[in-house]
Order: sequence, then structure tokens, then C-alpha cells
Amino acid sequence: MRLELQIERFDPVSGRTSLQPYELEVREKATLLDCLEQIKDDIDGTLAFRRSCREGTCGSCAIRIDGRTALACRTPVAELAAGGTSIVAPIGNLPVLRDLVVETAPMWEKLRAVDPFLKPGPGRPADGRETLVPPAAMEAVRKEALCINCGACVSECDAISVSPEFLGPHALAKAWRFVGDPREGETVRRLEALSGEHGIWECTRCYLCNERCPRGVDPRDAIAKLGAEAILAGHTHDRGARHANWFPTSARTTGWLRESELVVKTLGIVASLKRIPLALRLFRHGKVPLPWPRHKARDLGPARELHRLVGEQDRRGALGIVQGERALERIEFVRSVADTGSEELSR
Amino acid sequence: MLVIGAGCAGMRAAIEAHDSGADVAVVSKLHPTRSHSGAARGGINAALGNAGPDSPERHAADTVKGSDYLGDQDAIELFCNEAPGDIYQLERWGALFDRDEEGRLAQRPFGGAGAPRTVYVADVSGHVLLQVLYEQLLERGIEVYEEYFVLRLVLGEEGCEGVLAWDLPRGGVKALGAKAVILATGGSGRVYRGTTNAYACTGDGMAMALRVGLPLKDSEFMQFHPTTIFPSGLVVTEAVRGEGGHLLNSEGERFMSRYAPEAMELASRDVVSRAEQTEIDAGRDVNGSLLLDMRHFGPEKTVERFHGTRDLALTYAGVDPLTDPIPVRPGAHYHMGGVATDVDGCSELENVFAAGEVACVSLHGANRLGGNSLMETIVFGRRAGRAAAGRALASTAAAEIAPAARADAERELAQLLDRREGERPRAIRDELGASMHENFGVFREEGKMRRQLEILENLRERYRHVLVDDRSEIFNSDLTQVLELGYQLDLTVCMVTAGLERRESRGAHSRPKDFPDRDDENFLKHSLVHWQDGRPQLSWEPVRITKWQPQSRSY
Repeated sequence: MRLELQIERFDPVSGRTSLQPYELEVREKATLLDCLEQIKDDIDGTLAFRRSCREGTCGSCAIRIDGRTALACRTPVAELAAGGTSIVAPIGNLPVLRDLVVETAPMWEKLRAVDPFLKPGPGRPADGRETLVPPAAMEAVRKEALCINCGACVSECDAISVSPEFLGPHALAKAWRFVGDPREGETVRRLEALSGEHGIWECTRCYLCNERCPRGVDPRDAIAKLGAEAILAGHTHDRGARHANWFPTSARTTGWLRESELVVKTLGIVASLKRIPLALRLFRHGKVPLPWPRHKARDLGPARELHRLVGEQDRRGALGIVQGERALERIEFVRSVADTGSEELSR
Repeated sequence: MLVIGAGCAGMRAAIEAHDSGADVAVVSKLHPTRSHSGAARGGINAALGNAGPDSPERHAADTVKGSDYLGDQDAIELFCNEAPGDIYQLERWGALFDRDEEGRLAQRPFGGAGAPRTVYVADVSGHVLLQVLYEQLLERGIEVYEEYFVLRLVLGEEGCEGVLAWDLPRGGVKALGAKAVILATGGSGRVYRGTTNAYACTGDGMAMALRVGLPLKDSEFMQFHPTTIFPSGLVVTEAVRGEGGHLLNSEGERFMSRYAPEAMELASRDVVSRAEQTEIDAGRDVNGSLLLDMRHFGPEKTVERFHGTRDLALTYAGVDPLTDPIPVRPGAHYHMGGVATDVDGCSELENVFAAGEVACVSLHGANRLGGNSLMETIVFGRRAGRAAAGRALASTAAAEIAPAARADAERELAQLLDRREGERPRAIRDELGASMHENFGVFREEGKMRRQLEILENLRERYRHVLVDDRSEIFNSDLTQVLELGYQLDLTVCMVTAGLERRESRGAHSRPKDFPDRDDENFLKHSLVHWQDGRPQLSWEPVRITKWQPQSRSY
């Protein structure tokens, strides 16, 4: 099939960025990486991009295709804009070195900042063999361990784009990989460090990292797990933690989120007073309800029952999120089997 | 000291060297976690005995038999004895191995193994090991020269003085002096058209060793993995067969019953690849492939334990293994041969070491068992790291590279980059891959191998006029890819030269037409190829046998 690609070229010597069109003939099952290879081999040897495994395990070839970050090797050309022209650009939030190649050092620096290695706790078996860990306990970090450091999440992260020092989804997912490991010995200290500035609570919950991760790591969920554990461990001083903490409190007491009170609970009274002019403007535009009478659900029963169940079954903290993920995976699994159209399989 | 390459072997070596007190840095053309070790799926072998009775001795006997008796038995015994301890250490470092119900490390059956011996993490075993080694590298603060493409080992009066490398992101030739160097550059599968190997697997370390006079051992032995997807060459893990997957021909027959009635699909890789090639040659193929059937696993097992495999089949073959078998065929997978070393990774030069796929200890002999190569990277990476550190710490050499050596390299690169007319590398590379497949593939014969040597001569001649399009300093991967092709052309000449002279069929070297049988009388020996005056020189070396005498090999 015939394909046209517009590739963003960056020349580090002149500092110029330009879009260069390439036309090529490719087989239908080809990937975007196959196209880049073909361009480099046959059309233009000066096109610079990274690649190695061509099967989605090495994490080299993350690029942006028509604005969304993906691995070139996992992008079938059949999925590109049919008949139209696709734009290929380097990933975002990292400085461009040349063409599609970015400087990844800032990403690795953030990774190093979370001490990305196991700090084993006590409880090693005396016989020198493996630590015994129930299979279910390892489930807690299974997804995060799949990360291939491709930077797709960093590329898409809204929070990094406005706050470049934010640790970001890549480093935080790695952090959870250790915090959640049953063999880890410094969970509490890690959570304290991660609850500080540019840590867990700087995430804006846009969920694009979950959306774009080619390995299903779901970094945002990892950040949620860190947040839940941090609060459980008593690290509630950060505004973000106070903000998050108000949700269950509000839900338990009135069944709804009381947004006006949320501001006070998050910012404190003094800081909230300074926001009164903003609040009035918002109110005038119908963006916020009056704080009184309290926003209250008609039936408080289900909210309170849910709260009671979580407490009773001890599903507080990250465990509840992990179990939720498993439940969603089961649903996804049943759907995917149903999609195969096999009645036998569906049963 | 320097470690060249940052896959599992290289990182394990660097960690051990650091822990032994040496000042070590890693040099790699890729960021460490981009290394091809990360693509290993199935697992890592050690006789832990968690899933049934097993012992290092049984592991060794299986490995000797798997090697078609060409493996050096002292190395094999040492490897099998040390493997369990290394697995426990990896677990302590945080490796996320799958667990059994009692919380121990789970183990599964693999081809050619008499017991369930393969420790694993779903189908991402190599990925997890690569990450844990990188984590340990970071914990120790070991320096990594990332995306440095090594041009050559530099020899001086006191052996190897270090390496010269092209700094890919910034440009320029960099001189890195060292008192000891470990090659851990991985394999060479890219010399074949159909290969499971990453683009980066171009045999750089083997060729660099050749160019400083070090011999390659058993370089004729290239393992063909029986289950690769066409045309990408991506591998479907052996674990699919380990867990009961069937291989069918176009008539729907489980043809392995005719080739390995006992082990069936779980026979050794060379056996299965030959059976497939025979079926293909007899016309019982489906568009050049056989069918790997896992439909009877049921959706639960397939989705939970073979998520990656299903994803791979969907993306690259357009097939859902829940409902259809996956078309597979043999593809070049693992180079058993490599830089000849002793059990401490030491080569003929006393301060040059090698570990992992680039090396030949010889652990795998004529055929490697699945799950032994990840274990090899750890055991022999560790041993090479310790031995090289000892050498470096005891050395009084200056660890400096003479300026003239660097000037030489710069001049050669300038000549290459200044060339304005010539042939682009693509056709040379494609013809190399296609001809190696045709003439030096699963089956070999005298005439085809002679023909291949002529083809290689022709390609080498054309390579002298190869044209680099890109002349910029920053991230010039056009340049490094051309240099890789040069490595491949040296290496393949050695492979075919050794193959031609091995007039027998053993393991992965199969000559059904002219020498169909194993010939222990004349060829129970290792080939050694040196590069002298621009030509390969072949010699032989005996196999080290401790307790297993050669027997006929059937599965």
C-alpha cells in the first residue's frame, strides 16, 4: 500500500525544525518502524531515530504519531490515517537531540531519584534459598514490573509539561514497584519522600499515561496506590493528600462530595479566605454550589455500607486498588473472549 | 576496567567487578534496558528442585546431551552447580519470579530437560532480569557510557589498552583506557534474514575479537528457533510447547511423532527445527510455515500466562491463538559459538574477557537448551567480572590508549564519511541475510557453503565502496549501521569456513546430503577460527570430557 508520512526533522546544528514529507510503498502488515527503516535504507539515510528489538520490549522507538505517543514498532500502518498523511514527531517533554531522537537523561535522573532498587527487609530464610512469598502478594507490583522505560508516559504527562520537576509517571510507577513489593524493607521512608514536593500529589490525574502506555503499566494507577499507602502511613500533610482524604470523609458523612468544603480542607482556612473573590466569580457563573445547605444524598445507606465493607475486609490502601484492577481485568478478559465470537470459549 | 555491552551478562559482570573492588564502567551502544536480553521470554534454568526431584547433575547431563556432546563438560558441571545460588541471589536483589502455591520459585518444563527446571516470570523473564540488573547497577552508581558504539579493541605492549568508541549522541571518537576489558556484546543473529534477534545483534564483539587476533570457537553453530513468526522473525516462546502446545503440518498431523516420538514438541530446538524444515521441504507447509496450536489451552490459560504471546500473534501475524494456530517457522536465534574463553571468561589475551552470547565457554556445544542462555549470562558474567577485576587490580599498566591509535580510527572514519560515491548498505545487508539463510541455514551441504564463501567475497568487495548518507556528528546511526555491516561480513566468513570443514552432522550443524551422521572419531572437537592477514585460519581443539561419554542422541 502507498503511504505518505510527514516527519518532523530537527537539525541540531542550525537549530531548525521542519516537516519533511516521504512517500513510500509498504506491505499491509508493516509497522511504522518498518516504514522508518525503509526511509532510512532507501530514501534518506540521514533520518535519525532509535530502534532495536522491533517487538515492543526494548522501549527505544517511542514517537508521536499524529499527536499521540506510541511505539513505532507496535503501530501497524493499517491503523494510520487511512489514505491521509500521518505526522511523525519526537516524543514530548524531553529535549530533542536530532529528528526523532530525544535526550532521555532527564527521565533517567528522575528514575534515580526514587532509589529504583529493592531495599530488602528482614525475614530472609536462613537456608540461603528464596524468600517465601505467596503468589497473590506479588500481584501487587506485577503491572509496574512490565515497564520498558520507553518514555511514552513522560511524553504525554500534562503535569510535567507545566512543572518539569514533577517526578512523573515513569519514576513513580517504578517507585510503586518497590513500595508494593512484599520483600521491601523501607516502605515507610519511601512513602514519606514521595509525599514531598514534586512527588505523588503533583499528578493532575489526566490519565493519559494509562491511556498511552504500550505495556499496560498504568502509571496513574501506580500513583494512586502510592497515594493510598502514603495516607494510610499518615503522610497527610501535603495539600494533595488532604484533598484526596476529603473525598471519603465527605462521601461517608453526606454521600456526596461537598466541593466548597473541599477547598477549605485542602488549602486551610487562611489560604481559603484569600480565594473568596475567585469563589464569588465562580458562583456567579454557576460553577460552584453554595456551601449551605449541605449537599446531601437522599440515601446515605450505600455510601456508608461501602465504607464499612472496606474497613471490615481491610481493603484500605493500595490493596483495594489492586483488587479493583484484577476485577477490571476479569471483565476485560470476558469481553475479549466474547469478541472472538466463539460460543464454546464464551462459556 | 571496562565492560562492553549492557545486557544481562555485561551488567552482571560489571556488578561483580564493582563488588570485587575494581573501578568499572560499562560501554554500550544502547541504553542498558534496551539490550536484547530483555526479549528473552521463557526463563532461566537452575536445578532448584522446587517442582519435582532435580539435581545439578541431572541438569548437567541434559545440557551435555543437548550440546550433542560438544559442550565442555567441566564448564557445564561448574555452571549447573553454581546456577541455583545465582538464582537465589537474583531473588534477593528483587527479581520478580513467579511463585508456586507454597511461595517458592515456580519452575516449568522446557525442551530437552528431564525435569521442570526453568524459573520464569510469565513470558517476560528476560525483561525482569534485565531490569533487576540495571537496578543493581544504579544502586552501585556504576558509570555507563550510553550509546557509545565501540569501534575496536586497542592492543599495546601490555595486551589490551582499552577501546575506541564513537559517541553516538555527541559525535567524535572517544578513547577509553582500561586495564581489563570484558566483551558482553551479545549475539549475531542479524546475519540471517529471518531472525529472532534485535537490530542491534550484529556480532560486534565477535568481529572485534577476531580483528585483534582472538579466535572464535564453534562459530558454525547457529541455533534456529523452531517457532518464529514470518516475516518479522519474532519468536513465540518455547513455553507454549512447554505447556503443551502442538505443532501441526498442513495435513493437521502432529508431525513431531515421526521425529521425536517420546519428547514430541519438547524435543531439543535443533531437532524440532530440522523436523519443520523437512516438512516444509516436503511441501507439507502452509505458505512456508507450520502451525503452532494452543487452542486447547483454553482462554484462561492463554490470556493469563501467554498474554504477550497472544499480543504478538495478533499484532504481527494477525492471528488470535484463542481461535487459530500461529504460523511458525525456524529462524536464526542464538549463536552457540563465540569468542573462545576459559571458565572465567578469559580469552587468549590475558586481560580480555568475554561472557554471554558473544563468548563460547563452551556451555552449549552444538545446540543450546532453552533457559540455559539467561543462566549463562549470570553465571559466566559473574565469573568474568570477578576474574577481570582481579586482573585489573593486579595490573600496573597505565590504562591509557596511545594517541596514534585514536588518530588512526579518526582517519578511517573520515575516509568513510568523505566518500561521495558508492553503494548504500541495504542491498549488501539484504543479500547477506538471504544468502546465509539459503546456504548456511538449518540444512547445509558442501556446494552451497562453497557458494556462500564466494558470495561473501563479493559482498566484502562491494562493502569496500559502501556509502554513508549521513555526515553529521549528532546521532549518526547511518554510520554505525554501516560499521555493523562490516562486523557481520568478517564474522560470516569465519562461520562458513568452519562449517565447510566440519564434515559431519552435529546439533545445529546439519548436513543430511553429504554427511548425515555425527562423527565422533573425527569431529568430537571444537573449531577455532583466527583472522590472519585478512583471511580465516581454521584449527581444532579437543572437547573436555569429564564423565559423560558420547552416546546417540534421541528424544
